[in-house]
Amino acid sequence: MSNRMTIPIGPQHPLLKEPLSFMITVEGERVVDSTLRLGYVHRGIERLCQTKTYVQNLHLFERVCGICSHVHTTTYCQGVEALLGLEVPPRGLHLRTLLCELERVHSHLLWLGVLGENIGFQTIFMYAWRDREIALDIMEELSGGRVTHSCNVIGGVRIDVGDAQFSSIVSQLNDLEQRVEKLLDVIQHERTLRVRTQGIGYLSPEKIRNYCVVGPVARASGVDVDLRRDCKYAAYGWLHVNVALAHEGDVWARTMVRAREAIESLRLCRQLLVGLPEGPTQVRAPRRVPPGEVVSRAEAPRGELLYYIRSDGSDKPARVKIRTPTLTSLITVHDQLEGVETADVSVVLSGIDLCIACADR
Amino acid sequence: MTDLLDALTKLLLFPGFAFLFACAMLFAWIDRRVIARLQGRVGPPWFQPLADWIKLMAKEDILPTGTNGWVCAALPVLSLAAVLTASIYIPVGGWIAQAFEGDLIVVLFLLSLPPLAYFLGGWATGGVYSVIGGNRSLLQYFSYEVPFLMALCSPAILAGSWSIAEIAARQSETIWGVLVQPLGFILALVGLIGKLKRVPFDIPKAKSEIVAGPLTEFSGRKLALWHLSIEVKTVVGIFLLVNAFLGGSGVSGLLPAPITFAIKSLLVLLILSVASVLYARLRIDQLANLGWRVLAPLALLQITVTVWIGVA
Repeated sequence: MSNRMTIPIGPQHPLLKEPLSFMITVEGERVVDSTLRLGYVHRGIERLCQTKTYVQNLHLFERVCGICSHVHTTTYCQGVEALLGLEVPPRGLHLRTLLCELERVHSHLLWLGVLGENIGFQTIFMYAWRDREIALDIMEELSGGRVTHSCNVIGGVRIDVGDAQFSSIVSQLNDLEQRVEKLLDVIQHERTLRVRTQGIGYLSPEKIRNYCVVGPVARASGVDVDLRRDCKYAAYGWLHVNVALAHEGDVWARTMVRAREAIESLRLCRQLLVGLPEGPTQVRAPRRVPPGEVVSRAEAPRGELLYYIRSDGSDKPARVKIRTPTLTSLITVHDQLEGVETADVSVVLSGIDLCIACADR
Repeated sequence: MTDLLDALTKLLLFPGFAFLFACAMLFAWIDRRVIARLQGRVGPPWFQPLADWIKLMAKEDILPTGTNGWVCAALPVLSLAAVLTASIYIPVGGWIAQAFEGDLIVVLFLLSLPPLAYFLGGWATGGVYSVIGGNRSLLQYFSYEVPFLMALCSPAILAGSWSIAEIAARQSETIWGVLVQPLGFILALVGLIGKLKRVPFDIPKAKSEIVAGPLTEFSGRKLALWHLSIEVKTVVGIFLLVNAFLGGSGVSGLLPAPITFAIKSLLVLLILSVASVLYARLRIDQLANLGWRVLAPLALLQITVTVWIGVA
């Protein structure tokens, strides 16, 4: 057909924050086909980690992702601790979980900003990123780092919360909660936002199950999966998590799910701080890990994160395999893009919250 | 000789090119600053638009191979020339450079040239993003132009004159157009936002979809001229609206004419800035729907009522 055109999106494009390449075939303004190329930020982390010791690898896995750095080390530590048979003290687990939840808040706000920017709603972008600063400030206060926290160690965490910190963090959390609720109110009632996101990128629950999609994208289609509730790791055994669900399965539902999740995470943060048990935050871990293999899972901001670790008894892992939630969402992009307008490509792509650094490793 | 000097002064200094250039920079700065403050940012210093413009002028000018350099150079100049010519017929703060019966039509015609140049700019450079942006800008043009023209006809019908200066003078003697025809004013504002491709109608240059639309392949001086023509068009459009709906510079009010005019213009600019903070970008089909299902019928209604009142 003569009026077919191929639009390249990526590897460098204003829409994408990380390199990724789509070739989108359009007929007029309608998308008829799309192809995907991955691997622009492949850094060979899985191979590299086999040459480093378990402790050195902490720093490596922290750098798999720039947004959910903490949940990567959490999953890794959990796995190694299971191999070692270590019991992490409750205080350590609580603090570990606290950072996980803060990270979720910051990731979801960041995503909301990116969505705003991609549909031409600059104001939402500015507001969401301004409010996200508070979450970053809290994390900095806790660990000294805004993005990479170096907070997890095998056997616990290296940070602790004092009385002065406690009250300052709680007041910042309250402030942040008010702001996020206001943001939720704005996005719920802003008509142009609704018009742009409703009915776009629909995924049915069957498709979600077939493609094994996880995280907020699955929950927005009514598939009720959340590891924080289904497989209580870290301190989630002490908490009651209200899983945000929606049934529309479009980008609008994903927006709502993520916004409600951010508010729920803030509630969990406060609960974690109030119920913080006394005691040590970590136990000493031996250098060498006994032979064996383990699968460790955690709920990252984008969904289930999976680490497979095999040990051969030395101080270096024999194999580590990381499966990130973005990979499962990426598979659905072709289905989601079929038949949408060119203008909605950006909405679809931002709707699934891509983290290419995670997916490529 | 003095006639020639006078004409040249009007053309080049005031209210011609130099004045419009200064206004364009000032308005661009106020616009950016207001938007920044509303979004919780600081915003640029006053000379930023000028600095940006000078920087662009000094930059290397690259065009993709296979494009016609002359056409690409002529299009931004044409666009700028059209808006500058239009400005001659628009009274500013009590000064009228040129006026004749029917200059409103001429101005409207001249203001509809830049979108065509913009569209051609997309096709002349031929990149994928440029072509899609060009198509979109033409579709958008058909959506806003008709309501915009009809909205601007009604004050002319009411004043019984097709001269902008006459319309403004009649309004400041009797009552402002915006009070008699609030609907017309709103339609004209929406049309103007579409014309200037501002949020929520920045569809042809949607960054996250088609990079910079028709201007994607332009750089250096040509891009600077494109930007200048859009900024000058903002000023001219605002001046036109002030004259057609807000009584122009007024007769003998509390304040001197230039100040009244400046206040009114800034007010319209403020509305444009606030609108671009409040909304997300629409899709092109949504804009076409809005244009033909809502704006055009409303504009027709507006004209019908105006004619009916005029006859009665």
